[in-house]
Amino acid sequence: MDILCILSSLLILYLIFKIWKHIDSKRDQNCYILDYQCHKPSDDRMLSTQISGEIIRRNKHLRLNEYKFLLKAIVSSGIGEQTYAPRIYFEGREESPTIQDALSEMEEFYIDTIEKLLKRNKLKPKDIDVLVVNVSMLNSTPSLSARIIKHYKMREDVKVFNLTAMGCSASVISIDIVKNIFKTYKNKLALVVTSESLSPNWYSGNNRSMILANCLFRSGGCAVLLTNKRCLSGRAMFKLKCLVRTHHGAREDSFNACVQKEDELGRVGVHLDKTLPKAATRAFVDNLKVITPKILPVTELFRFMLSLLLKKHRRSPSKGSTSNVAQAAPKAGINFKTGIDHFCIHTGGKAVIDAIGYSLDLTEYDLEPARMTLHRFGNTSASSLWYVLGYMEAKKRLKRGDRVFMISFGAGFKCNSCVWEVVRDLSVGECLGNVWNHCIDQYPPKSLLNPFLEKYGWIREEEDADTFKFRT
Amino acid sequence: MSQATMPDFSSSVKLKYVKLGYQYLVNHFLSLLLIPIMAIIAVELLRMGPEDILNVWNSLHFDIVQVLCSSFLVIFISTVYFMSKPRTVYLVDYSCYKPPVTCRVPFATFMEHSRLILKDSPKSVEFQMRILERSGLGEETCLPPAIHYIPPTPTMDEARSEAQMVIFTAMDDLFKKTGLLPKDIDILIVNCSLFSPTPSLSAMVINKYKLRSNIKSFNLSGMGCSAGLISVDLARDLLQVHPNSNAVIVSTEIITPNYYKGNERAMLLPNCLFRMGSAAILMSNRRSDRWRAKYKLCHLVRTHRGADDKSFYCVYEQEDREGKIGINLSKDLMAIAGEALKANITTIGPLVLPASEQLLFLLSLIGRKIFNLKWKPYIPDFKLAFEHFCIHAGGRAVIDELQKNLQLSGEHVEASRMTLHRFGNTSSSSLWYELCYIESKGRMRRGDRVWQIAFGSGFKCNSAVWKCNRTIKTPKDGPWSDCIDRYPVFIPEVVKL
Repeated sequence: MDILCILSSLLILYLIFKIWKHIDSKRDQNCYILDYQCHKPSDDRMLSTQISGEIIRRNKHLRLNEYKFLLKAIVSSGIGEQTYAPRIYFEGREESPTIQDALSEMEEFYIDTIEKLLKRNKLKPKDIDVLVVNVSMLNSTPSLSARIIKHYKMREDVKVFNLTAMGCSASVISIDIVKNIFKTYKNKLALVVTSESLSPNWYSGNNRSMILANCLFRSGGCAVLLTNKRCLSGRAMFKLKCLVRTHHGAREDSFNACVQKEDELGRVGVHLDKTLPKAATRAFVDNLKVITPKILPVTELFRFMLSLLLKKHRRSPSKGSTSNVAQAAPKAGINFKTGIDHFCIHTGGKAVIDAIGYSLDLTEYDLEPARMTLHRFGNTSASSLWYVLGYMEAKKRLKRGDRVFMISFGAGFKCNSCVWEVVRDLSVGECLGNVWNHCIDQYPPKSLLNPFLEKYGWIREEEDADTFKFRT
Repeated sequence: MSQATMPDFSSSVKLKYVKLGYQYLVNHFLSLLLIPIMAIIAVELLRMGPEDILNVWNSLHFDIVQVLCSSFLVIFISTVYFMSKPRTVYLVDYSCYKPPVTCRVPFATFMEHSRLILKDSPKSVEFQMRILERSGLGEETCLPPAIHYIPPTPTMDEARSEAQMVIFTAMDDLFKKTGLLPKDIDILIVNCSLFSPTPSLSAMVINKYKLRSNIKSFNLSGMGCSAGLISVDLARDLLQVHPNSNAVIVSTEIITPNYYKGNERAMLLPNCLFRMGSAAILMSNRRSDRWRAKYKLCHLVRTHRGADDKSFYCVYEQEDREGKIGINLSKDLMAIAGEALKANITTIGPLVLPASEQLLFLLSLIGRKIFNLKWKPYIPDFKLAFEHFCIHAGGRAVIDELQKNLQLSGEHVEASRMTLHRFGNTSSSSLWYELCYIESKGRMRRGDRVWQIAFGSGFKCNSAVWKCNRTIKTPKDGPWSDCIDRYPVFIPEVVKL
């Protein structure tokens, strides 16, 4: 009896020990954002209307129709006067970039942001265990991640990944990699560096779908420090709740919505198809279908299901009832505010923000961070989400327990989204290093009207393409 | 071996051993505690005679509840134990791309093209000829169709069609071999160092095979010839987190857009060595794949020497004086590769060397450091830890250097040399061609351990250790099936052109 007792008690002790270890390891699997730093390029890289006009005029292949098209695009883009462009645009060399130009553009960005980030958090480069770099349109040998490791003399066993060509949704993909690594390895510190390279990607032709990319993208980038160390979780800003990726590459029209290719004369550019908004909507809807049950409370989900059933019931007997299901951008019919407090929308363009605002039924207050980011920094591709987050932080909107929903789209066609929970009260105290610190009081501005219309509106009246001459 | 060849090997390994011992002690504390308890019980049992044991047995009140409880406990604990072990990651199968014969570039073709394209710089032509003579490449290596034109036509469309040709053929082959359905793929990782169009190559694969919309896809690039193992590392990490999943890795290098059109000598070198090739690999952590999987992943170690300036600049993409883009390979490449390998070995050594080698190394270390005996530093014999070696076929010099450093015989490096001869330097996929060679020769038996070593720009050295899961029959199809009987060939130092 005693021996059996001893044996049983030993086994019970071992079992309790194993269960405790299992629970303990689960606590170390959370992905926290310790800090992030967006890049604000120097003011001599600010792109005003005047300079934009000059740059457009430098392209000798453009004719009146293209100018009209560009004017329409720029005016309706929602981009303001203070966005940033790479240096070679100002030096007049955008059509003949060298490798060094692309690398210097990236160097300027990562040296500034990573330095500030590490200094603020009192960390050394040797403390970094994981490095994920995603810059969509730059492919150099050695990779950008190797350059960062060399510059900061990081450790030999750092886990490094260099993602490219994954479009504007690549930062969420990098977070996905880090999240998965955190589940397997304990006590790690990760650095995600996200940006876009514009210098080598200027399109010098006149294909309309390709010159659009020239006008919409701006310079910017962000470095994010993530960790799963329990000792740092007190200093953390956000905790990752869930992350969902949707890839519509299987559909031909989605895949061909945004393709980098050569035009008829062999010049390389990014072709943005007219079906891009539809592809984006489809991918977004699919993504919502997966993430909504994970983030909204059960009561809201029940209410939504009930309302759907009632709608179906009401529609079937009646003949002429208005059904709002057959719209291009369908309203979700579900109240996202019950589970989400802030919306971080990729600043792909005014149309994108409007479409998402409509389908999620968001107010101007919800869309303000995205609109203001688009106005102040333009479409900085993958890093735009972090600028939007920075705006919310600077406006002191983020309180402890709030949930932030990040939505991004990418070529292929992908829609990736994730939800962060605010861990520390960010609405008190100053936000150090926030890119919006210097100008947050001027936002939102009274008028978002684009000065392009004032200066170049006369182009709309021009009719004759042959005798057209640019007036300054 | 003189002490100069392995400078900081001993000190870093010493620390690693102390750390390892301490970790072992602490991690298995409870289990180690059980040993003395079990010993006491055993001694007690031995002291009592057989009759006493029978008395004790009879005196135990076999309450049904107690019996049930204890058996339940045992079953529960064993379940928890097995579930908490890290998931084993298997390599189910892989397939390598065999280029069509029409893409073949024998020496004569290469030199003729070279003379026509570089007609203004005969010195560069002569340089290329000298490189080709000593390269270790054979007459059957292949270049993509666009490069066969005079002058080559490296447009984006041609690059895409090369990518489609090499990737889709390899993947179709993989699907046929494994019976995998495209819609069952959970993770897709594509690595191609020098070509990354938008949408990415991974999106291109998803588009062609209509993969699921919740697939986790990743497109790695710029990571050099070691990117294949980096993809395996990422797949392993993802498979630890997602149960019952499989991952497809596509490793390739697209030559079309990267053919150097100038005449700077150091940058003409890659033109002579890099050839077309790709591999598609299926990895899984499903229990059901355990029986048909070819290999099990044991260890994977990554070392990044980017912090050292010389290592960083040794493989560098830049523009030459005329603005033409090419990759500059520095003269110190061999030395840097050797150093990176040493850094990698210090980590992987303790993981794979048998206890005897580690003990010998420890003894020689103690002898030299503590007792100051004049012993030579003991270099562990890696041939005891592995049966097969797959060294990245980066070039003849790389294979020679590694053979010398690791003290390997000709047979160990045969797979690498023959792959270099038959396929050239196919970058990240060369390791898989070498593995296929070993299988085609019928040398792969169950329990054999394979060590794959790859180098990449930056400078990285990554190595993976696989254990063969089942004896592999000589494959009937595959890139080596039509020529394996001709191998091994004798590759002379210089092939006179």
